[in-house]
Parts: sequence; C-alpha cells; structure tokens
Amino acid sequence: MFPLEVRSLSKTYPSFRLKSVSFSLEAGKITGFIGRNGAGKSTTLKSLFNLVHPESGTVRFFGENFTEHEISIKCRVGFVAGGTDYYPRKPLHTITGVTKLFYHDWDDGDYRKYITQFGLDESKTPSQLSTGMKVKYALALALSHHAELLILDEPTSGLDPVSRDELLDLFMELSRKGTTVLFSTHITSDLDKCADNILYIKDGAILAESTLPAFSGSYRLTEVAGDTLPPALKKKAAGLRRTKDGYSVLLQTADTPSLAVETNPASLEEIMIHLERGVNA
Amino acid sequence: MKQLLKKEFLLSVHPASYLFLLLSPMLLIPNYPYYVVFFYTSLGVFFTCLNGRENNDVFYSAMLPIAKRDIVKARFVSTILMEAAQFLTAVPFAVIRQKMPIPGNQAGMDANIALFGLSLAMMGLFNLLFFCLYYASITKVGKAFGIASFGIALYMLAAETCDHVVPFFRDCLDTPDPQFLAEKLTVLLFGLLCFFLCTATAYRKSVRSFGALDL
Repeated sequence: MFPLEVRSLSKTYPSFRLKSVSFSLEAGKITGFIGRNGAGKSTTLKSLFNLVHPESGTVRFFGENFTEHEISIKCRVGFVAGGTDYYPRKPLHTITGVTKLFYHDWDDGDYRKYITQFGLDESKTPSQLSTGMKVKYALALALSHHAELLILDEPTSGLDPVSRDELLDLFMELSRKGTTVLFSTHITSDLDKCADNILYIKDGAILAESTLPAFSGSYRLTEVAGDTLPPALKKKAAGLRRTKDGYSVLLQTADTPSLAVETNPASLEEIMIHLERGVNA
Repeated sequence: MKQLLKKEFLLSVHPASYLFLLLSPMLLIPNYPYYVVFFYTSLGVFFTCLNGRENNDVFYSAMLPIAKRDIVKARFVSTILMEAAQFLTAVPFAVIRQKMPIPGNQAGMDANIALFGLSLAMMGLFNLLFFCLYYASITKVGKAFGIASFGIALYMLAAETCDHVVPFFRDCLDTPDPQFLAEKLTVLLFGLLCFFLCTATAYRKSVRSFGALDL
C-alpha cells in the first residue's frame, strides 16, 4: 500500500493543462517533485487535496480514496504550502491553540519538543518569522498531529543556504523515523542531498518517476567544440545547450555506445536544464 | 462545529465587528435612519471576509480535517451570532429611545418593534446577496459587498420612503410601542421569516458554489 497513489489526474486551465498525471510514493522515502516554474507542481499538489478540482483521475492516500475519507486522511497528512502564510498578525500560540482543537491525536509533548528544537518563540507572529522559521512552524504543527506523510510545496524556496541545509537535515531525520516526504522544488541541489526518488514534471506531464541514482544514471553529458553539431549526435540528443566553446549535449545513457563519444555523468541540475531547453539550442 | 466557531472568533472575525456592536446606542439619536445601525453589522461581515482573504483564512481552514461545507457553515453561524448580538444590544436602546421625552424619529421609522422586523429582513437580504456572490469567488469580496450594500441601501431607501408615503407604515408601524402591537409583531415575525429564508437559501447556494471552487 502506497502512502499516496495518483492516477490519471487531469485539469485544464485556459493557458495550462495537467496531462494525466500518475505517480506513487514509497513509504518512508523522500521524493523530490521537480519541474521549472509553471510546470504544474503546485496544481498537482493542490489537486491532491481537492483544493483545485481535477476533471478526472483518482487520488488515494494510504489506500483510501481522498474524496470518501477526506477528514481521516487529513489527520494523517501534513500539507505545507510555502510556510505559514496565514494569520500573519496572530501570535503562534493562538494559531496553535486553534489548530490543535481539530486533531484528536494532537501531542502537546511533541509540539513542545519541536518548538524548542526549532527555536520558535510562540509569542511571535508569523509576520515576525523568517521564511525558514515559518516553514519550521508549519512542520511543527504537522508533526504534532503525527502526520505520516508530509507534502511540502517549495519549502526551501527563499531560504538561505544554511537554513535550507538545516531543513533538508530535518527531512532526512523524519524519513529515518518512517515519515514519507514529498516536496516540490526547482532547486535541484536540495534533491542531490536528500532525495531517494525523483518525480519530474514538464509542461503538465510527468516526464520521469524513478530513484535519484537511476534517473541521474540514465543520462550522460558530452561537450562538442565548434559551431556545428554532428547530425547523429543531434538526432540522439535529449537536450542541448550552447556553451562558450560549442555545445553541451545530454544523451540517454543507452544511446552512448553507438555514438562513440566521450561522456561524463550529468548532475540533476544539468539534466533538468538540458531537458527544459530541448534540442533547438 | 464548536471548534470551528472557536476558530472563527479567535482567528477570523475582524475586531471591528465587535466594535460595531457598540454602535447600537445610535438608536438614541433623536432623528436618524435607524436601519444604518444594522448596516454596520454587514460592514463587520465584509471586514471579516476581506480580512480572511488577506490572511489566507480559507486555505488554512481547507487544510484542517473538516469538510469543505463546514467552513461555510461556521462562517454563517458566526455571522448569524453577530447579527443576533447587534439585534439584542439594540433592544435596550430602542426601549430607552421610546421613553425619551422628545417626539419620535422624524427622519424615518421609530425605534420600535416594526423597525426590528424590517431590519431582520434587511440583514437576511444582505446575507443572501453577499454570501452568494462571495462564495462564488472568494477573492472578489469587494464586488460582493458593493452589490450587497447597494441592495440593502435600496431596501433602506424604500423602507424609509414607505414610512413617509404609505399610510400603513406612517400611521400604524411608525408609532410608539405598544400601539398597533399585533401589526408590529406580525412585521417582526415576517422579518424573522425573511431572515431565515434568505439566510438558508444563501447557505445552500454558498455550499454548492464553494464546493466547486478552485482555491
């Protein structure tokens, strides 16, 4: 049973379409949901909770259909959309005092533990917190009702490198304790550090769903000097980009033996940039 | 619902809504369109919804383990409670106004039982217009309030005009209590009925619209 299983999720906007998105999450693992801005990450995450209404598709949390078991599922899931951006002028203790009323398994001991661990001052308001502290507060709330699955939309966006690193450490610690984490980001270095699996969305469609090593290993990079690209190479290229001296070409690892070119491993960032740029550089 | 109401009053209801309750003594102004006192209650509802938009209240609520329709229900119940509070705090001042040794209200309806009945109908009309529009598009709070307040402004204008030109209003309803008590109680009952019918219709429509809304 998957903590989250999504099948054929589709949603059409005038200028954007989510195209039959399907994926599942492995329990206790960290999955990075990547894609450039506007690729459909937030729409997908909002669709999971019916915040936007998909035209078709099913969403199952812990084997249960979301629409039929919405309330019990929400008790087991924490959704953090970019930190605490609600009630910016209310003290944290007031927000917590209200939030905990809705969770039957709220654990005040755990809440105190996380507040102390994250160095949060409950007399402050969200508007007085840094971006990183807002995310940590939202996490403290989610963890205090024992969320088994954490879904975070761009949690590291806007954080300084140290805060980002601290947050990623926290994700890894939670994962070790059995919490499943899905977080969207366009900062690929975050995923290099902590992700087990990758979910890659491009133009509203899932381009890849795999483990991080398998995804990175399925591509190689080669550099070509000069202005002309050999036709055979161009034909096989998964992505191209101009460099100072010529071209950088992303190839599928399976294609490299037939091309007889020298290749190097590709980082997640290089893969994403090449795939997004396409083959028309 | 108890938790949701606690959430409404601790996090969502705009502080000005409570201050507007202090405007009930406006019924002591010798000559004044007293319906305005109840218009302030509507202004409080608008501030709460506007505040909610700025504070991402709906998103916070939507992520709580509750059904989407309960978000609407809580807002309706808190609004009804605030409207009832305005109504109840106004009653003693209406009684005092009637005992004041000056003539009745020359600007419009006296502060009497009929005024409360007609004001209840006005608040029901506001709930119907405002919430149906608000829950169809929660970001357009200003538009919803603009249309709803225009609607109740027309209502007030019509009611005060009737008070001057329609004999039943002028000679029967616009009199000190307990004169024409049966007629006034009928108007109060009519107002109460209008209030509940309009509010119930608004609630049903709002639940439907909000359920289908993409946040």
